[in-house]
Amino acid sequence: MIDGVRRQMSNFSRRAATNGEEPAFACPLVADLSDLTSESIIVSDVHGVIRYWNPASEALYGWPAMAMIGQHVQTIGSLAHAGTDHFSALLREGRWEGVVHRRGLSGTNVVAAVRQIVRRDSAGDLLDIVEFGRDAGSLSRASYLRMDAELQSSLAASWELDTSAARPLLDAIAEHRRSGIAIDFDQHPDWVDRMLSVTRILAVNDRAVRMFGAHAGYEQMIGKSIDAFWPAESRSLLATLLESVASDRTRLEARKMVLSGSLREPVIKAWHSAEPKPPDTVFVTINGIANDDRTTWELQASEDRYRRLIQYLPTALWQVDSRRAGEAFDQLKAAGVRDIAAHLERNPDLVEHAKDVVRVTDVNRDAVSLFRAGNLADLIKPVRYIFSAAPGLAERVMVAHFEGRRNFIAETRIRAFDGSIVDVLFTVTYPVPPEQLDNTFITMQDISERLNAEQQLRKLQADFSHAGRIATLGELATSIAHEINQPLAAIVTNGETSLRWLARADPNTEKITQLTSRIVSNARRASDIIHRIRGMAAKHEPEKRLIDLNEVVEEALLFIRHDIDSKSIVLSANFGSELPKVMGDRIQLQQVIINLLVNSVQAIVQSGQPTRRIDAQTSIDDEGSVVFSVLDNGPGVPAEDLEHIFDSFFSTKDTGIGIGLAICQSIITAHGGRITGLNRPNGGAHFHFTLPALTVASPEPSSVASSTRA
Amino acid sequence: MPAKTVRSSEAPIIAVIDDDEAVREALSDLLQVLGLACRTFDRAEAFMAEYQPDRFDCLITDVSMPGRSGLELQERLRELGSSMPVIVITADTSAATRARALSGGALACLTKPVKDDVLLRHLESALNRTGGARDDRRGTPSDE
Repeated sequence: MIDGVRRQMSNFSRRAATNGEEPAFACPLVADLSDLTSESIIVSDVHGVIRYWNPASEALYGWPAMAMIGQHVQTIGSLAHAGTDHFSALLREGRWEGVVHRRGLSGTNVVAAVRQIVRRDSAGDLLDIVEFGRDAGSLSRASYLRMDAELQSSLAASWELDTSAARPLLDAIAEHRRSGIAIDFDQHPDWVDRMLSVTRILAVNDRAVRMFGAHAGYEQMIGKSIDAFWPAESRSLLATLLESVASDRTRLEARKMVLSGSLREPVIKAWHSAEPKPPDTVFVTINGIANDDRTTWELQASEDRYRRLIQYLPTALWQVDSRRAGEAFDQLKAAGVRDIAAHLERNPDLVEHAKDVVRVTDVNRDAVSLFRAGNLADLIKPVRYIFSAAPGLAERVMVAHFEGRRNFIAETRIRAFDGSIVDVLFTVTYPVPPEQLDNTFITMQDISERLNAEQQLRKLQADFSHAGRIATLGELATSIAHEINQPLAAIVTNGETSLRWLARADPNTEKITQLTSRIVSNARRASDIIHRIRGMAAKHEPEKRLIDLNEVVEEALLFIRHDIDSKSIVLSANFGSELPKVMGDRIQLQQVIINLLVNSVQAIVQSGQPTRRIDAQTSIDDEGSVVFSVLDNGPGVPAEDLEHIFDSFFSTKDTGIGIGLAICQSIITAHGGRITGLNRPNGGAHFHFTLPALTVASPEPSSVASSTRA
Repeated sequence: MPAKTVRSSEAPIIAVIDDDEAVREALSDLLQVLGLACRTFDRAEAFMAEYQPDRFDCLITDVSMPGRSGLELQERLRELGSSMPVIVITADTSAATRARALSGGALACLTKPVKDDVLLRHLESALNRTGGARDDRRGTPSDE
């Protein structure tokens, strides 16, 4: 039957589509043809005044056309039609079908099954109302109620369901009934779940697809369990009706239902199909008054606009019905659960269950392309797939939901359907009453490009600082050569001395042993120095570890000590005691220290200062940060240059390329510290940097409701 | 750092200045096997504190050190009228350093690592020049 309805509906829409081009329906125009039909045809104008009345109408109602044309339709109307106000529904929907009761010529009650169509001109103004009618008076009351329901089902969201698989359950329930037990499905959620999960969708009409199918589409709904699509708030009602009509095939059940959505006072009807449908086929319709005064096509247009807006939104968007999770949360709250995170940790199956019962009801195009899916329908299913590459994310989403938060934001990853992993910024917006509770929105933004850019930036910075290190090593080549040459010189001399002892008639083995162990320790020392130079010369990704800044300074001095000595500079190093450790990259921090010292050395040498001093110090400042300072008695930095010294390619040196301090700044900034350069009151420069000490608890990255990095 | 003296009987005394302890020890051991007494200092200032004319027969000094450099020390000794032979040992291979050492009166400017026989030859010539070299001294420790 619903197939027939679908056909009719498409016919109607075709007519509506071509309506604008047709000449206005002048009453007599098609009268000749209509005169011959066996179906009653009545045309009335905007005001309800009858303009046409064909012979079949005369036959059906007894009134001649002559008497009726010019009369108001209410003249014959009893309009004692139960349920909705059909005239406003007609205007709203553009059509109406149902059974009407009319007053016949002899005062008899005429029962007619009618189909009414509103015709409008191209501007949308109401032209007239055409009614096709036929006699339904011969039907029993039950039959015409059913006929009425069937006719009206074209306006309702209609379902044709196969309940045959529920037969064993229905039989079991019938057994209960026979033994006199009252059945209340609200008390038997397990029965409801079973009944709905085994009841299959045989057919649905467009309206049902639109209202309940989300984007699943007609084809995706057919053959599926009704469980997946039926609104959560009326599951036990559906089970009740199914059970009722299944147990009495003549019954037509009509109930008011609770349905969040665009329908006001929705009414659900269910009846068992007659032949030739297979047994256990049940029809269900949901009908009601649209929730605002707009006409159907305005609603439709608005809905289409909304759909288009959502569809073309440049962010991947999911509409999720998380009411099942919400219900579970209500139960947990009622059971006294407060710390949901701990509860979920103890009961991981709750999370797994939620991944199956919380369903995606709609997605947009960006979501499809983000997941490399073929079409929208691939994403309309339980939310499980969203979390497949993000362990722990579902728990956090549930915690935020439980705690009544408005939003949840996280950087995380998804596994697209082609298996690729995509970094996304993931946000959830939970519905808050009075919003529709089935509308939880998830958005995802592909941030892999941003992360790639960050990765490239890190690599660039690493390359940059590496280049700086190589340049510095070049500048310090003499100093470094000296450092390696010392142990090598000692080794050579120790070896030669040993040979001289060995050449003697009475070799002094004690002495030779001492010399040999000196060779070993000096070789080791040389090797250590080379190891450190290699560390400075190597290109490596920054690696932050817990380090002692004093050790880093000492190691850095190794590279420059000879340079300082050879330039007759007095270096005094003061290491603060009990410095807290810092998180840092040893090589990069050494690089900064060496760079600052090299700058001081070069400035002092340029200045021609007779007594040359550099003080290198480590300390803790008032905020508990670890500080490294270099103070020299060189010429200082010209006041006008002070604000540019950390800029790239700014140099006061003739041979400098001006990246040294820029690198220092980028390294220290990447360590969460600050670097400053200033002039000392009595001449000379003072550079220092601070690094956050690890004992000071670093604040959470963000205090946004639930923002954390995955 | 306390200076250390290694003395063989009747041997001339060589002064060794190097800021690197390993190098100092190595030179000191070499001089010992050669039968030469030596006294080591970690910097020029320490040497000057003990300096007296004719106290040392020869000075072996590094160039680059904290404080006064070996070359400055040599110049200072010349100013003081010292005729003590000076052998400069340096890791610095630059011609300028070498020229400055030799023009300042150094007997030799050797590059580290120094070959022992080269050092010995220069030491012999240094000690001969101060008139301290005697046959018995020369023959005993040498492997030549």
